[in-house]
Parts: sequence; structure tokens; C-alpha cells
Amino acid sequence: MQALKLFAAAALLALAPLAVAQETVRIGVVQPTTGPVAYDGNIYVNTVKMIVDDMNAKGGVLGKKIELLVEDGACNPAQSVNAAEKLVTRDKVVALLGAFCSTSTAAMMEVAKKHKVPHITGISTAAQLTEQGNPYFFRAVATTPMLGNAFGGVLPAAVKAKRFAFLVLNDDWGRSMAASYPKSIENAGGQIVATEFFQQSDLQFLSQITKVKAANPDAIVLAANTQQAAALSKQIRDLGVTVPLIGEGSWTSDSYLKLAGPASDGVYGLVEYVYTIKNPINDTFVKEFQAKLKENPTKFAGAAHNAIHIMVDAIKRAGAADPEKIRVALEKTDYNGLVGNIKFDDKHQAYGQTVYLAHVKGGVPEVVATAKIAKP
Amino acid sequence: MSASATILAQHLLNGVLIGCAYALIAMGLTMIFGVMNIANFAHGEFYMLGGFLAFYLVSLMGLGYFLALPAAVALVVALAIVLQHGIFRRLRDAPMMTTTLVTIGLSLFLEHVALLMWGPQPQSIPTPFPTTPLSFLGIYTTPLYLFCMAVTAALIVAGHLVIRKTKMGKAMRATFQNKEASALVGIRIDRVYMYAFAFGAALAAAAGAVLGGFIPVEPTTGGVVTLKAFVVVILGGMGSFVGAIVGGLVLGIAEALGAGYMPTGWKDAIGFFAVVLVLLFRPEGLFRRA
Amino acid sequence: MPETGRRLAAAAAVLVLAAVPLAVRDEYYLHLCIVAGVFVIAVLGLDLIVGYVGQLSLAHAAFFALGAYTSGLLFVRAKWSMWLGLPAAAIATGLIAFVLGSVILRTRGHRFIIITVVFAELMKLVATNWIDMTRGFMGLPGLQIPALYVPGIGAIDLAAKGRFYYVVLAAAIVAFVVCRSIVRSSIGRKFILIRENEPLAESLGISAFRYAMIAFVVGAALAGAAGSLYAHYVGFVSPDLFNFSYVTIMLIMVILGGKGTLVGPALGAVIFTFLPELLREASHWRMIIFATILIVATLFMPRGIVFPLVEHLLPARWRTRDAGAA
Repeated sequence: MQALKLFAAAALLALAPLAVAQETVRIGVVQPTTGPVAYDGNIYVNTVKMIVDDMNAKGGVLGKKIELLVEDGACNPAQSVNAAEKLVTRDKVVALLGAFCSTSTAAMMEVAKKHKVPHITGISTAAQLTEQGNPYFFRAVATTPMLGNAFGGVLPAAVKAKRFAFLVLNDDWGRSMAASYPKSIENAGGQIVATEFFQQSDLQFLSQITKVKAANPDAIVLAANTQQAAALSKQIRDLGVTVPLIGEGSWTSDSYLKLAGPASDGVYGLVEYVYTIKNPINDTFVKEFQAKLKENPTKFAGAAHNAIHIMVDAIKRAGAADPEKIRVALEKTDYNGLVGNIKFDDKHQAYGQTVYLAHVKGGVPEVVATAKIAKP
Repeated sequence: MSASATILAQHLLNGVLIGCAYALIAMGLTMIFGVMNIANFAHGEFYMLGGFLAFYLVSLMGLGYFLALPAAVALVVALAIVLQHGIFRRLRDAPMMTTTLVTIGLSLFLEHVALLMWGPQPQSIPTPFPTTPLSFLGIYTTPLYLFCMAVTAALIVAGHLVIRKTKMGKAMRATFQNKEASALVGIRIDRVYMYAFAFGAALAAAAGAVLGGFIPVEPTTGGVVTLKAFVVVILGGMGSFVGAIVGGLVLGIAEALGAGYMPTGWKDAIGFFAVVLVLLFRPEGLFRRA
Repeated sequence: MPETGRRLAAAAAVLVLAAVPLAVRDEYYLHLCIVAGVFVIAVLGLDLIVGYVGQLSLAHAAFFALGAYTSGLLFVRAKWSMWLGLPAAAIATGLIAFVLGSVILRTRGHRFIIITVVFAELMKLVATNWIDMTRGFMGLPGLQIPALYVPGIGAIDLAAKGRFYYVVLAAAIVAFVVCRSIVRSSIGRKFILIRENEPLAESLGISAFRYAMIAFVVGAALAGAAGSLYAHYVGFVSPDLFNFSYVTIMLIMVILGGKGTLVGPALGAVIFTFLPELLREASHWRMIIFATILIVATLFMPRGIVFPLVEHLLPARWRTRDAGAA
């Protein structure tokens, strides 16, 4: 069976270059469909597929069907590079989406630049991605510092706290959170009493939690994704810390809520998207997502929605499936979608969209506050 | 108690909890190493499988928690016996490179089979314990943590007793010290190997099942666990049970105290630096082969 | 294989390899060829210590990553081009291996293996946490392939895949020739003696420590050089390079290729660069299959799969009699 598959794959690969004229508009997607974040990566991919199917049912774009090509980047820079190379050189895609983790996106950006193909991410938040002067790279999500500026000032009042502690992942995401939120929190009358870090491979956080607890915070701000977020929530409550938790990352997704169980109650999530947002576009999106994919859309689904819509919108405005024209069209984006209006500044950083503070009550993350991302 | 004493005590308690787990996992690893002369790179995968199987037995098959834990361990033991019979039996006198490569391959194999069967989703084992924390003099713990410590301690003591008091244990120690002589006096080496491998796997699986209540497991968890186990075993002395126990506890407490009073980013480095020190000054480990 | 036959075969092989970019226009396959070439250099180094001296070092991927970081840091912070960065990476990695080796090469057995793992993890910790120097997980971006300054012609841009391929090919040939001269010299014979019968070697006055060190340092330098090439080609260096998955894939290349030969691991590097990419569809099964083959091959095929297969296809009088020479 494997041999047959291999033969078939080899035959197809050999024939692929023969497809000269593009009868479809080819968009490439690099996401982690295997590896530690595969669950979220697969949600992203399934969302994009669902949306593209809808678009194709309505005629596609520029009169042609959209062909989606997905490759596994596994959140590994080398593999993401391989995947992007394949999509661009072999499959001749005119646009790229990916690669989820900031380091993989950073590696993939170089491929996009080399081959002059526009590349958009809806997830990677590392600040330096838009500081490289890469004209082909666009970021359709707010960075942590932008979220910090938008929400930091709101937090003391929203969670009724004065003393804030940070317990964050020891990578650029967590560190930039610990660096950027304090200013706006302090401006609103808050105080930072502790900052602790944990590693990506850590599974128990008792030492860090004990240290944070010793500083007597009224609220703890965290940066973590599903597995670590769940473990953190549980272990924090286990050690008798009852103050509100405010998290960037996956603190409102179904998978986190299930994994953390009762420890997730009362948690606040700082999110770019949550399924309880009330607007017409989201209502349709959530209904379709629940029907087809049988769960609630997570923020990665929201990110996918934004990324593919913005890209296809740009292709439409470009008038041709030409990478350079698409790139120019992307710069002029003025898109109204799932989370409000999105434009790109001259570093290709998105701004203008709404971001949300969600509060988990009884397993449902309700939106309790919103803010708009200001132009950086 | 003063505030700083309370914090110190909390760190110590945290350290003992984690240290017991380290000790249990390392005991299994050192047993496999000591008796079979195999560095089991797949040891962490036994931990992972113990955790996953316990999760599935509890939440998907509805088995009671206290039944599911030993059942999960039994399943892993069954797997270990199959592996021993199918693969490691042939490697009895094989060179070290061969056995190490086989365990590396096995580790890869088990990790990806787990990924294929269960997906990358992390899972946490639902426990019947109440979640409200218990506190004593300002030090916090939960019924689950106490259970973990009790079970790991009991298993450590049990392991120690098995080695010291039972016939199989004596046979294992004899094989440990001199394989040829043991075979000559009629000890069935193949059976000893089987027991050692199964027991080692059982200890790792038990740790995974018990800790899975508050540390979520996913298929790639094995690698980190194996690494920690190796660090403990080097510190304690490869093949020394006492070394594994003391090494595990010491490492757990050292990490907790280190993280408690130093920048937490370097917590893992404590173990590695300890290994470097041990290598330079006492390469046999803190304890000789027991 | 008789000497002239070998020389002809080698020359033919070089010609064929040199013609690859002319025949293969597909950028994606050229990309794979370049990556394969980089790994050829790295695994030749690994084979010296694993195949010839017989010590299982799991630190090799760390040396690869250290080479990438050295070259990357020199580029990002001191603007050194790859022409300087590559030798610097090789030398730096060799030095680190020398220091590490002096501490651990007297150890034998499992302790040696485990300590190489611990070393790799420690290096990963440093790369991740020494943010001021390495930027941690943010990595070092923007690395470039340099141009070649030829007097009279000016600067030749080498960034195109078809052109960079020749750089990698040249490096791989140099690595192969270096390894072959070591292996065929008296040093190589001593490697094999130490591997087969260390007490006998010691009794003859051959210091296992000394020769293991030679293999270790040279192997590490090759890995470092490969890392530098890789870093400049991919354009980005991050702590992911220290992941254990690089160790396992390099081991697979060496063991399945045929340890203790040079051609074996080189072919292994090529095959196991292309194979995972061709098997992209079967991503879960891919690693399960590789792991199974690794176990089976280790158990039943100590000479590997690729090399014996290649030998089998050659006419009888061309086959090597001993597995020690390539």
C-alpha cells in the first residue's frame, strides 16, 4: 500500500510541471499539521478549507476556482522552509499563508522574499517579523505589545486588581508581554509585583507559582498555550492561589476548557477572536463551523478566517493571479470582516481591528470588554 | 511561621513531590541499565503510555480511577514483555551501540504510534479527588499531590524490598554483578531480564499514570522525561537503586529551591550542571552500584 | 575495487554530480540536493566517530547547530560573510569538541552516550536563554549567501540555487576527500583497531583516547562547517536546530547508509533527505516506518542497507573485501 502511494505520489510529482497555464488560483498554506501544536494547526487548515470551499461554490475568485495546497511545517523552521520552497517552486502558488509559530514564520518569510511571493500570517506575533523590511510579508494580527497598549489600561478596572504578577513563557512572546504590558497597567494605577518565566518544555510550574504567590498579587497575567495553560490553571489553584488569571494564548478554546476543567472557571482571555463575539459575519461563521467541524471556532480559526479572506480580497482587487500585483493590492487593504476593519501600515502590520477581553463563566467565554488596535 | 519560612517549606514540599516522581522513573531506568546493561532511551515513552492508557481507561471506558491506574500499568508491562521477548532477548550480548540504537528507534516508534492513535492533543486524567487545596501552616497541597507522593513513595519502598528480599530480586542483583557466574549457578538470565525490563517499565508507567492527574500528557512528553531520568541516573550512579532514589529526590528539591531563589529560566540547567560536576569529580556517580 | 577502477568511478561520480543543476531545472529538487549535500558533510563527520572509532556520540547535531550559530552570530553581529564564517564555525566547533572530549572521551559505555545527550541539551538551554547574545527563540534572521569575488570578473552572486549547489558540492567533495585520507591512513587503521579490540590497541601503545579525540574533533568540525552552510542557505538560525530529531535523522543516515564506510552515510544522507519529502503525504507513518527500519536494520543488518545494496549491484571484482575502507 505504501509502495503504491509512493509510486502514485512520484508519478504526480513528475507530471506536475507539465501543468503550464494556471486554471486555478493557487494559494499555499504552511501549518503545523503534526507536532506539538498540530491540534491548533489542523483547526486553521480545516477553517481555510471550509472557507475556500464556500468561495469556490460562489464562483471562486477572478472567475477561477481557488486551489488550496497545504504543507506541514510542524512549527519547525527547517521544515517550514522546505514546505514553502515546495509550494512556491513546485506548485507555483501565487500567495502563501503560514506558518503559525513565529520562528517558523520568520524562516518562511525569507523564502517568500527570495521568490517574491506575498506571504501573510494571522497568528505569529513576534514583534521583529515586521521589523525586517520584508516587502512580501504581511501580518494580519496584533502583536503582543499592541494588545498590551490596547488592554493594559483596561485591566485594573476590569478585574478589580492593583497588584499584577506576570507568569509567562520564556520566549519572545512571553518576554515581550512582560515588557510591554506594565507601562499601560501602571498608567492605569496598577503595580507589577513579580515576573516569572517557564520553558516550553516545562510540565509543572510549582516553583514559579510559589514565587509569584509570595509576592501577593491581586491578578496574574500569563502567556501560554493549551497544554501549559491547563496545567498552569490547575496547579495555580492547587497551591491555593485564588486571584483572577488573565491569559494571552489559548485560554478560551474548547480544548483548553476541557483540559483545565473547573480550574478554567473565572479565567480571563485576551484574545483577537472568540466565538461569542456578536456580529453578523461571526454569527454565520460560527454556525457553519459548528455544523461542519463540530466544535466552536477558536482564535486560530478566527485567524485563518482573516488571513484567507484578506488574501483573496487582495487577489480580487489585484485583478490577476500575479504575485506582484497581489502584493501591491495587499498594501491597500481596507477589509471589513470578522473582527472589524483591518488596514496595513507601512510595515505591513495590521491595525484597526477589535480585540476582546473574554471571561470564562460555566465553560463559556463571554466578551466583557473590547478595544481597538491603534495604528502603531 | 514567618512568611519566608513558609515559602521555603512550600518550595521543599514542591521539590519532594517532583523528586519522588523523578526517583520512581529513575529507579526503573537504572534497573534496566543495571541488570540488562541497556540505556533505555524509550523509558519516557513508558511514562507517556502509562499516562495515556490511564486517561483512556478512566474517561473513555469509564473504569474507576483506582482500577484504571494499575490496569494501565499492567498494559504497559504487557507491552514491555512483548518487546523483551521479541527484541531485547536477541540483544543479550549485543554491543552497546546496538542496544542504544534499538532503544532510540523504539522511542521514535512508540511516540509516533501514540501520535497516530491518539493525536497530538494533551490529556489530563480526571481524578476523584476534591480539587480544593489543603493548607497547613500556610503551606498548600492537594489531595491529589498527597496521593502522588504516597503512591510514588510506596512504589519506591516496594521496589527496594523486591530487590533486597525476593528471590527474583536476589537473582537480579546476582546478574547485575556477574552475569556469567549467575548463569553458571542456574539463574535463568532470560527470565531475570524479563522481570527487570517489565518492572522498570512498570515504575515509569506508574509515574505517568499517577502524575497525569495534574501534569497533562501528550505523545511527545516522553523525550523530556527520558532526559530527566538519565540526569538522575548519572548523578546517582548508573545501576544504583539507592542512587536513583536519592538522586531523584535531591534533583527535585534542588530544582525547586533553585527555581525558587534564582531566575527560573535556568532551572533545567541545575541538573545539567550537576552532571558536569559529577563527571569531573566523581564519574561513578554519588553512589556505587548497589 | 582496483585502484584505477575506483579513480575512474570517483571521477565519473563527480562529473555526474556536477551536471545535476544542468539537468535538474526544478528549483524544489535543487533545494533538496543542497540540503542533502549539507547533511552529507555532517554525517561523514558523524561516521568517523560512530562508524570508525565505534563510539555512539549523540552530540553531533549539537555541533551542527553550534556551527550554524557561530556563523550566524558572526554574520549578524560582526558582518562576517560565510567565507569567513564557515572556517570560523568549523574551528570553533572543533575547539568545543576538543574541550568536551577531554572531559568525556575517557569515559566509556553508556555514560559517554548519555553525557553527549546532556551536552546537547545544555547547549540548547544556552542558545534559548542567553538572549542578549543569541536572541533566544527569536533566532538570528537575515543570513545570506555571499558573493564570490573573482579578480578580473568581479562579484559572482551565488544565491541562486543552481549556483549555491556548486558551493555545497565542492564542500562535500572536500569533506569526503579529507575523511578518505584520514580513513586510509594509519590513523584510520588505528580507528578500526580501537573499535574492534581496544585492549589490544592499548597494549600496542595506541592511545584510544588520542585517536577517539581526533575523530571527535574532526567530525565536529565537519558538522560545524555543514551547520554554517545550512544557516546561510536557509537564512535563519534558531534553537530548534538543537532538537533531538536532528540527531535521530543523522543516525538513521549513518546507520542505514552503512556505518564504517564513507559512501554509505553519504548515500544515506541523500536518500534520507529526499525520502521524507517524497513521503510528505504519509507524515505519521513516515517516522514509524523509519523507526522500524532503524530497529530492524540495527538488529539484522549491521552493515546498513544502502551500502550493501550498492555493493551487491556492482560486479564481483569491484566489491570491497573489508568494510573498513571505502
